[in-house]
Amino acid sequence: MRTRRIAIAVLAAIVAIALLAMSGIAFGHSPHELLSILISGSVGSNFALQGTLLKSIPLLLTGLSVAIAFRAGVWNIGGEGQFLAGALGAFLAARYGMVAALATSLLAGAIWASIASAMRLWRNAPEVLTTILLNFIAIHLLGYAVNGPLQEASGKYPQSDAIPVAAMLPTLGASELHAGIILAVVAAIAAWFLLYRTSEGLRLRASGFNRSAAKWAGVNVDAQLVRAMAISGSMAGLAGGIELLGVTHRLFERFAAGYGYAGIAVALLAQLHPLGTLASAFFFGALTTGAGELQRTAGISSTVATFGQAIVILVMIVFTRRRFGQTR
Amino acid sequence: MRLTHITKSFGANKAVDDVSLNFSEGEIVGLVGENGAGKTTLMSIAAGELMPDDGTIEDRTNVGIVHQHFLLVNEFTIAENLALSMWGRDPAEVIRDSGIDLRGFHRRVADLSVGEKSKLELIKAIAGHPRFLILDEPTSVLAPAEARELFDVMRRLAADGVTVVFISHKIPEVLEVATRIVVMRRGRIIVDGGAMSAEQLAEAMVEKRSREDTRRRAGGGPAGGPPALRIPPLEVHPGEIVSIIGVAGNGQSELAANLRDTLRGHIAHIPEDRARDGLIAEMTIAENIALAEPRWNPRAASRRAAELIERFDIRAQSPLQRAGSLSGGNQQKVILARELERKPEIIVAAEPTRGLDIEATRFVHDELRAAATRGAAILLITSDLDEAFALGDAIYVIYRGELSARLTPGEAASQAPRLMAGVGT
Repeated sequence: MRTRRIAIAVLAAIVAIALLAMSGIAFGHSPHELLSILISGSVGSNFALQGTLLKSIPLLLTGLSVAIAFRAGVWNIGGEGQFLAGALGAFLAARYGMVAALATSLLAGAIWASIASAMRLWRNAPEVLTTILLNFIAIHLLGYAVNGPLQEASGKYPQSDAIPVAAMLPTLGASELHAGIILAVVAAIAAWFLLYRTSEGLRLRASGFNRSAAKWAGVNVDAQLVRAMAISGSMAGLAGGIELLGVTHRLFERFAAGYGYAGIAVALLAQLHPLGTLASAFFFGALTTGAGELQRTAGISSTVATFGQAIVILVMIVFTRRRFGQTR
Repeated sequence: MRLTHITKSFGANKAVDDVSLNFSEGEIVGLVGENGAGKTTLMSIAAGELMPDDGTIEDRTNVGIVHQHFLLVNEFTIAENLALSMWGRDPAEVIRDSGIDLRGFHRRVADLSVGEKSKLELIKAIAGHPRFLILDEPTSVLAPAEARELFDVMRRLAADGVTVVFISHKIPEVLEVATRIVVMRRGRIIVDGGAMSAEQLAEAMVEKRSREDTRRRAGGGPAGGPPALRIPPLEVHPGEIVSIIGVAGNGQSELAANLRDTLRGHIAHIPEDRARDGLIAEMTIAENIALAEPRWNPRAASRRAAELIERFDIRAQSPLQRAGSLSGGNQQKVILARELERKPEIIVAAEPTRGLDIEATRFVHDELRAAATRGAAILLITSDLDEAFALGDAIYVIYRGELSARLTPGEAASQAPRLMAGVGT
């Protein structure tokens, strides 16, 4: 069973890379050439590897966010909005220091996600829709903030001022890499522990597999939904906070850059397993940095990385027997 | 149809072991045996739904099969469900031709009782004009009157030359309706013959036949004091078993769901719809059992599940086996293990022995009696009247969502038929 699941994931990753390389033919490059650029640009040098790891951090956290929600049968597609809520929260709390900023990002993500669970419980509004719509609201809220109240003092660009140095995540040694990677890995292990070693996780998974049977067994499935959504949202929020404190140091309009949606691909490739998410986030991180290198050296738009994500999602959906969208 | 040397294994488990059977037209074959004896597997092979590992099937005709679990679209109406398999035919006509009484074909399947759903499944199967009809545990959800209706349909079909195979655990029914009885045990055919007594049949089905009888427990009865469960007119006192009987679809399911949602405290629930509500098929036996416990750690849960597998005689390879891979009877035992082992004060058991074999049924009854002796208040909602009378200290009849007055078993014996049909008191 387990080997079969891993084999499917590896197959999906290989198919995605192969199709990506083949797409080069359309641009007059040989697949072999593109493949070597992808590899050297993502893991081929110390610098490239650092870039890949840097991209992997938010992907890991948004991937965990999706994995936890989907395991609980909650279809949280709102990682993008929760990511932005987390970043916004972290920015506002940055003046109180790094720990306060990180804690606020967790909380902000959880609150933003909880709007969807409140609507679900109150009017049975499907969270697949409400979370997506909340993404758009968050994007425009951020756009307003960096063009209005939070715009930099000089008023030149639609972006905020940089956060205080004290709130920034320290870098690891002489590298570009920041301490967020440690937090993300700890979060993955914590998520695994939560799902597979605690009674809370047992009930979350039970609600996800079969809501009705879980209810008969005495599980409060509504409370589980609320908690799963909050935990999931806090992971995406933390991703936004870490991205702000560790990489960008300021807010701007296109801050989320698709990390929330990419989390869905990360979680699916990981078969919704928190530890699998470690490998899958690294894979997508490499894909993103490799695609950046494609743009620089071969002139192919780096958006091909999203093409790779789409391929992975399709292969995973086709080859796994999980019942997507069916919560019973 | 002729089945010759059929063998089928699932993993290490030989579900059907070298079985040969010939069927002739117009016979009603009662196929009986314990849970996991291989009855359903054999019939799935006969229907062409499963490929045998070995053996041949000759002269397969048009086979119709009604499964133990419903294959209906809940969101569709009765008419729409019928249209799925027979587009263009008038649903009213299809229902009339089947000779089965099912009213209101614009009702959604989700709103039907289990008894009505099973009628709809039967109508679907009959509408295909099968020459060979397999019914897997069709009476397990039916009240006696509905079961008799079903037997009439079976006899009519047989008179038209259809071969009917009737899988059941209920000995009196099999004796009543079958013209030939086939007993399976551990994948093999033990008996294949005509007339036999209930005693002989029971003996053939179970290997170790215990001398204990399923009579009422001596003494027992309610202790004094206030009722543990009180929803007027219903009262259940600690230490007593109260049975609720009625024709399926008169509010039994709603009552059980209502009690699940409103009762607070130390309460065990045995849900009626085992396939949907019983266990989480994707999770292990150990995880399913642990759902009822406040704390969980995998190792302790596995140890505990191993104990319960032993104590409840659950046929499983390990506590880490997926619950969905167990046979129906063994799934029910896992539910019982989970619900009864936490020593509940109140037990609400809906159709707890539905589809179980004699031995498993006796086991469930013994467990419920033991719980009552321990002081639990037990509400038994059942369509099996023998069960209701064998266990109940008091009996209520439910009709159109309303409960009758509290009856003693003696009163119920005379009044229940009229109350269940809704004709005065």
